[in-house]
Amino acid sequence: MSGKSFFIDLSRCTACRGCQVACKQWKQKPAEKTANTGSHQNPPDLSAATLKLVRFKETAVGGDFKWLFFPDQCRHCLDSPCKLASDPVIQDAIVQDPDTGAVVFTEKTKGLDINLVRPVCPYDIPRVDPVTKIMYKCDMCLDRVRSGMLPACVKTCPTGAMNFGDRQDVLAMAAKRLGALAPRYPQAALIDARDVRAVYLTLYPVRQYHAFVQAAEAAPGNFSRRSALALLGGNAPRTRT
Amino acid sequence: MTNHWIDIKNADAILIMGSNPAENHPISFKWVLRAKDAGGVVIHVDPRFTRTSTQADIYAPLRSGSDLGFLGGMIRYILANNLYFKDYVVNYTNASFIVGDKYAFSDGLFSGFNEDKRAYDKSSWSFVKDGRGVVKKDPSLTDPRCVFQLMRAHYDRYDVKKVSEICGTPEADLLKVFQSFAGTGTPEKSGTILYAMGQTQHTVGVQNIRAMTLVQMLLGNIGVAGGGINALRGESNVQGSTDQGLLFNSLPGYLPAPPASMPDLKTYNDKTTPVSKDPRSANWWSNRPKYIASLLKAMYPGQELEEAYAYLPKLDDGKDYSWLSLFDVMHNGGFKGFFAWGQNPAASGANANKTREALAKLDWMVNVNLFENETGSFWKGPGMDPAKIKTEVFFLPCCVSIEKEGSVSNSGRWMQWRYAGPKPMGQSKPDGDIIYELFLKIRALYAKEGGAFEGPIKNLNWDVASGNAYDPHKAARLINGFFLKEKTIGDKTYKPGDPAPAFALLQADGSTCSGNWIYCQSYTDKNMAARRDRTQTPMQEKIGLYPSWSWAWPVNRRIIYNRASVDPSGKPYQPDKPVIEWAGDKWTGDIPDGPWPPMADVEKGRYPFIMNAEGFGQFFGPGRNDGPFPEYYEPLECPVAQHPFSKRLHNPTALVFKGPREERAVCDPRFPFVCSTYRVTEHWQTGVMTRYTPWLLEAEPQMFVEVSTELARLRGFKPGEKLIVESARGKLWAACIITERIKPFTVMGQTVHQVGIPWHFGWVYPKDGGDSANLLTSSVGDPNTGIPETKAFMVNVRKA
Amino acid sequence: MTIERRQFLKLSAATAAAAFSGLGFDLKPAFAKAELAKLTRTRQTTSVCCYCSVGCGLIVNTAEGGNGRAVNVEGDPDHPINEGSLCPKGASIWQLTENDKRLTSVMYRAPYSDKWEEKPWDWALDRIARKVKDTRDATFEVKNAKDQVVNRVAGMASVGSAAMDNEECWIYQSMLRAMGLTYIEHQARI
Repeated sequence: MSGKSFFIDLSRCTACRGCQVACKQWKQKPAEKTANTGSHQNPPDLSAATLKLVRFKETAVGGDFKWLFFPDQCRHCLDSPCKLASDPVIQDAIVQDPDTGAVVFTEKTKGLDINLVRPVCPYDIPRVDPVTKIMYKCDMCLDRVRSGMLPACVKTCPTGAMNFGDRQDVLAMAAKRLGALAPRYPQAALIDARDVRAVYLTLYPVRQYHAFVQAAEAAPGNFSRRSALALLGGNAPRTRT
Repeated sequence: MTNHWIDIKNADAILIMGSNPAENHPISFKWVLRAKDAGGVVIHVDPRFTRTSTQADIYAPLRSGSDLGFLGGMIRYILANNLYFKDYVVNYTNASFIVGDKYAFSDGLFSGFNEDKRAYDKSSWSFVKDGRGVVKKDPSLTDPRCVFQLMRAHYDRYDVKKVSEICGTPEADLLKVFQSFAGTGTPEKSGTILYAMGQTQHTVGVQNIRAMTLVQMLLGNIGVAGGGINALRGESNVQGSTDQGLLFNSLPGYLPAPPASMPDLKTYNDKTTPVSKDPRSANWWSNRPKYIASLLKAMYPGQELEEAYAYLPKLDDGKDYSWLSLFDVMHNGGFKGFFAWGQNPAASGANANKTREALAKLDWMVNVNLFENETGSFWKGPGMDPAKIKTEVFFLPCCVSIEKEGSVSNSGRWMQWRYAGPKPMGQSKPDGDIIYELFLKIRALYAKEGGAFEGPIKNLNWDVASGNAYDPHKAARLINGFFLKEKTIGDKTYKPGDPAPAFALLQADGSTCSGNWIYCQSYTDKNMAARRDRTQTPMQEKIGLYPSWSWAWPVNRRIIYNRASVDPSGKPYQPDKPVIEWAGDKWTGDIPDGPWPPMADVEKGRYPFIMNAEGFGQFFGPGRNDGPFPEYYEPLECPVAQHPFSKRLHNPTALVFKGPREERAVCDPRFPFVCSTYRVTEHWQTGVMTRYTPWLLEAEPQMFVEVSTELARLRGFKPGEKLIVESARGKLWAACIITERIKPFTVMGQTVHQVGIPWHFGWVYPKDGGDSANLLTSSVGDPNTGIPETKAFMVNVRKA
Repeated sequence: MTIERRQFLKLSAATAAAAFSGLGFDLKPAFAKAELAKLTRTRQTTSVCCYCSVGCGLIVNTAEGGNGRAVNVEGDPDHPINEGSLCPKGASIWQLTENDKRLTSVMYRAPYSDKWEEKPWDWALDRIARKVKDTRDATFEVKNAKDQVVNRVAGMASVGSAAMDNEECWIYQSMLRAMGLTYIEHQARI
């Protein structure tokens, strides 16, 4: 199965947040009550109502100031730790679409413990609705994709940061883009490309963007997260390709 | 825009200055990044490092309000290093024109200044003419009185050191920008300038834009693909609403609103129609009598032209009726009635406290909007006591744009038709229906009771409905225009009712009507704005031209001044991205600026800048109110007592007012920080639409102030805490954002802190969102346009 | 004539149900809810974004039955400028429209009152027309201080609006100038 994949080109993201809002529009997700706490990033984190979130970070790379953006979402792992961890508890609470490879949380996730599912995700994606206890994350807009439409976040992206298509094409596109950027950005990399269906192209070391960009780069001390893929059957090397 | 959005992709260099398109025109970045993919250089000059700056190859900070220093420095750099496109400058601009002996410039003042009137007598800013009345030129550009040499002398003061001192931009950054953008001065390269309110909302706003135009003409960047002076307009139809004459000084199609000194149409035509004695100048405005006659006939088809003209209200000569003056008159109790139609002045106008006080002096106000807003509800706002406010307020609910049909014109002058999706919600109505029905009621009252000067009320053409309902198609046909009498032009006879095919066929004798001559051709045998055909010729494809998608004014021309994109023989300067090309007997590509052959045809050829009487691009612009060359002045509130270019600290002609609400702070220790206002992607204008859109409010929920880490350290600010931002006119609270994206400037040897605030919030909703940035801004304006100086003013920021 | 890409969207929406049953997907109940169903009984209209001046094309899906309200708004893939994309403002136009905070009836605030009252359209337009006429008649100036004929009304002013369509702007200026207003301003000035 080759299925579908996203290519998220961070060199093109302007943090317009079209993706964040288009996701809510298609999914009819409610707005959260937020406050300005000194950052433009809002909502502050992913949630059951926010499946796509643009993270903003001011940082320095080699002494140069950078303002980096990270449109965060589920990576749709080929072998997804969340499913592997939860199937023994409730079979098919988390399912994987055989055609696209989309990993989808079902309503049965309300029987799962978020403290089981979230820590095994190398990317810290799963969230739970505090009222219904159902877990939520990006489902690849499977309804749209099945009908030949692009996921809402990809459709709306103005700059070509968000891309989507058949996995082979997407990986080829990502590799080509990396090749074009490499001379100017020697640290550029495609993240976990062999393991996930949402492949990010980073220009700078991954920790500059966000703590959970790359599986092997998870927060120190978080054993289950750092080694989740290895523990749960993933066997591909967890390094940048 | 001289060009259009897609055309940005053709640029070899993109200078983004006084705008933040990644945030405020996000889709433009599709095209900016395509230019970048093709090797184009993106340059961002801005007081703040914004989402736009993250994609820039070069980012250069500058202190708010010092843009003219920066641009003057670039002009000097181009001239000093001979980086200009000489053939273009000689052939297409007024660089070679000889200026009269009486013109002079000294220490920040041009000749003819009257200190009492705060105004210039512009008569000395004129050109020398020969016996035929044609301007004398020196194509060698060496005559000391030619525009080129005067310009060189004028900008000689703007050396990199001085510019850096006043702008706070490091010299190295200045040079990087100058060098990079000046690289487009070769014939085969083009550079575009994208600007917005960051350039215009200053007391030198017009001259900021003029300075950009000087740069672009020196580099031969006007008229070409990937070039131009591109105003990124802020609203979906602010181009169109301006085209349609919703300004005191402008009738539809940029025809001047008549002053009292022009009591009849003949005088109006005599005085406002420019004359050129140069047979090679197209002098397009010589057609003005046809356009005003056609407008008068659109409004009053049953009247003779002179009577229709008499119906037009006349302005007092020389008097300003623009926004700031309007609210000054209102503040002084000068109006009884007021329409705030689809606008929220209590939050959008400078010096909002003054505006809000002014609204309380009215007898009645009509407020048309989608949501409750700070204007309609001013009487229950902060500091207001409803029991003391007499103003009677009518809130009329209009519908949203996807609930109605009609056209809007984007920044690239594309007129695009919109169709109705759902019906207007509840009892809301399209604005057109409200206007239509209201005027019927007014007319009925006059019919019944009689009243003052009934003629225009009785005779106004109100045939813009089908049945009893307003019909946008009928209005669109009227704007396009049609024949009123049978008329034979060439070998074709037009019957009454036949649409006017294009403005070249409009008549001065009253036999045609056209509500707006520049929109003539937009609705002929079909609705051109509704076209959805992506067909292109291979030549058009090269530069991303879609001539059959919608329609652009004038006459579907997508890049204006495009006759300057070719050499005098009609060959494109940039063969790989040609706009037009002379094919021996006709032009191919875009619609050219007129059908005439290229300039090499001595008899039939015409100069490219057809809207200027002489036909040339104007380095020397004698029509402006504050000087023929852009000159540096500080904002009317500023942190310095002097600047390096002259002893005139401020624009001596700036629009100012007197009164208790007009205090200003210059080098005032109470207000030590430079402040600028701006927008964010997630909100729009005063926020009346976006604050009520939960997904947008979620992303940017509250008023904030951005401060540098240095200033935060100095004042002990913490991220997210509520701070008070205050000016000589008002104060507000804002959440503190501490950022590395703003750095203190070194200006004239001292440290100057810059802060910034968005202007999207207002007290009505949400309750914890904060209030309008315009509580802090002042009622001072540009002497040409009256646009308020809301991009640079002085504030204090302190802990609450 | 080429088939427009947006027609594909329409087609795909119409055939969504068939796709779900016909392509052999292993449909788990949770994602067989087929949210695309919301596009099936809808009609599509094109529009242009109401926010900034880029002029992005929109496709609006409106329910053909039921309450006849908009169900989805997204970018028009055929539009040469935005090619289907939209920024967050454009992407939220559905929520701007189907918004319970919109005021959808006429509201009136009487002099010295501390509240809004709901009023019928006819009542409001009649009263405004009366105010306009009284103000115009009372403040009409045939001549100015220099004794020049000016035929204008001194006591009324207008601001707005770039939020209106071209046709609306034109008839609005026409009405204001017929009434004799000189203080006519709008967003372009600020």
